[in-house]
Amino acid sequence: MSNILAIAHKELKSYFASPIAYVVIGFAAILFGWFFINLLYYFDRMSLQAGGGFGGPETVNVNEMLISPLFLNVSVILLFTLPLVTMRTYSEEKRSGTIELLLTAPLTDVQIVVGKFLGALVLYAAMMGVTVVHIGFLFAFGNPEWQPVLTGYLGLLLMGGCFLSLGLFVSSLTRNQIIAGMITFAVFLMFWVINWIATFTGPTTQAVLNYLSITEHLNDFARGVIDTKHLVYYVSFIAFSLFLTVRAVDSERWRG
Amino acid sequence: MIEVQNLTKRYGPFTAVSDVSFRVERGEILGFLGPNGAGKTTTMRVLTGYMPPSEGKAVVAGYDVFEQPLEAKRRTGYLPETPPLYPEMSVRDYLTFVSKIKGVPRGERKSRVESSMERTRIADVADRHCGKLSKGYRQRVGLAQALLHNPEVLILDEPTAGLDPKQIIETRQLIKQLAGDHTIILSTHILPEVSQTCQRVVIINKGRVVAVDTPDNLTSKLRGSETMYVQVDAAGADAKSALETVAGVTRVIAADTRGGVTGYEVESGSGEDVRRQLAAAVVQRGWGLLELRPLRMSLEEIFLSLTTEESPAETAPPAETAHE
Repeated sequence: MSNILAIAHKELKSYFASPIAYVVIGFAAILFGWFFINLLYYFDRMSLQAGGGFGGPETVNVNEMLISPLFLNVSVILLFTLPLVTMRTYSEEKRSGTIELLLTAPLTDVQIVVGKFLGALVLYAAMMGVTVVHIGFLFAFGNPEWQPVLTGYLGLLLMGGCFLSLGLFVSSLTRNQIIAGMITFAVFLMFWVINWIATFTGPTTQAVLNYLSITEHLNDFARGVIDTKHLVYYVSFIAFSLFLTVRAVDSERWRG
Repeated sequence: MIEVQNLTKRYGPFTAVSDVSFRVERGEILGFLGPNGAGKTTTMRVLTGYMPPSEGKAVVAGYDVFEQPLEAKRRTGYLPETPPLYPEMSVRDYLTFVSKIKGVPRGERKSRVESSMERTRIADVADRHCGKLSKGYRQRVGLAQALLHNPEVLILDEPTAGLDPKQIIETRQLIKQLAGDHTIILSTHILPEVSQTCQRVVIINKGRVVAVDTPDNLTSKLRGSETMYVQVDAAGADAKSALETVAGVTRVIAADTRGGVTGYEVESGSGEDVRRQLAAAVVQRGWGLLELRPLRMSLEEIFLSLTTEESPAETAPPAETAHE
């Protein structure tokens, strides 16, 4: 465990020693702010029109009309920012030769991979930490329910974990950061849009495609529901990606 | 302490190391000598558990590096060819990180980091970023990293590469000091380094071991004959035939001539000392004997003779059979 934490700590330090952490957090904060303002204006208009028969909704709910869609929008931010976080994790170590230090230290492959994953996850948590400010404003000037906010954050953390573990795997396959970044982005995009054709397919295919989509599973979390189905999906997705990463690192040893 | 048995490593169809076996005793310094691409780094990477062998096995400090990698790694310090530094970390932070992953107990970390910085003379750059260091300092930080957990076995891949002459001497002294407590394998393609620091040498070429011995034994074993250099001022007379008549001399070659003074390389049978007879032969004829010294086959020549196609010394094992 202390080995895992040592690796995670080192990863986190190197994120903050390079511009990556600041660029990613800054970029995420700007985009999140933009989504927030848009949804706030929309919510503002809806509340004016509500209940009075002006074509607006019967009632307004800040959780349903603002916070939940806001959380769903975060997947767009992750699509663009998380490849930047993970693309260097393994590629850089391979390129600079520091991988030799890790692989000849008394560490298991699992410790290295999990350590790197945790490091990236903490950076991601810091990125999401910025958004607490926006949500805080809603609590200061309104009275949203706090439970759906918590489940929403839990869902975001799990979804981010999926993206990060997938990115880690891609990064373990190449020593070129740019290639790692591009492939990670493409794979993320694929998992994002995989269920777009679901409506044109038969019921079985539709169910499978919907199940595969990473973002689809966030809906219930954003609405305040913790469904084991989604929990299992996210956790097993992360575990499987990390497993693949361990295998990739191991196979690299054999191939030399 | 270190035992390598029939080690073979293939990268796809390419065989980098083929059937390499050797032993290193506790406290010994073994030099690993070979031209670039001979398989030195590959062998070291197998020994450190960086990659598994295709065939054969390696035992370090009593643990098979493949069967019990963690135990073996705990007892091994490794300096790879390029020091594995994180450019954005300060030297002290880097060494602290390494001490954590090498399993140095929390309470000892600080003192171990400080003492290995002392030993490798890098204390003055402790707070500099690794990425901003000169090549010499990087190399020494790499060495400090290898020493950090006080391992029984040290595996150093070209430890003096990129150092200036003063640093090279300091590093060699450090390595010699470390022997005894530690068992050391160091690779190099610089020959004097081997004769100065190592007790035994493994010469490797094209993935195969071509010789294992002490530097002195290698030098004498490979000399099939003794060679003397004799410089004579014979005032125009034929000194060559005169030298040839000396008992025990097998061959005389005129090596150089400068203003009536000629230098000869005189070969005699192995183990025969013909210096007195040579001197007498020259002086009795009234010629001037300007120089008389034994010509030793240097490690350089041995190395070349072992690693090139035609091996001139008959005692040298066949250097070239690198096909599978």
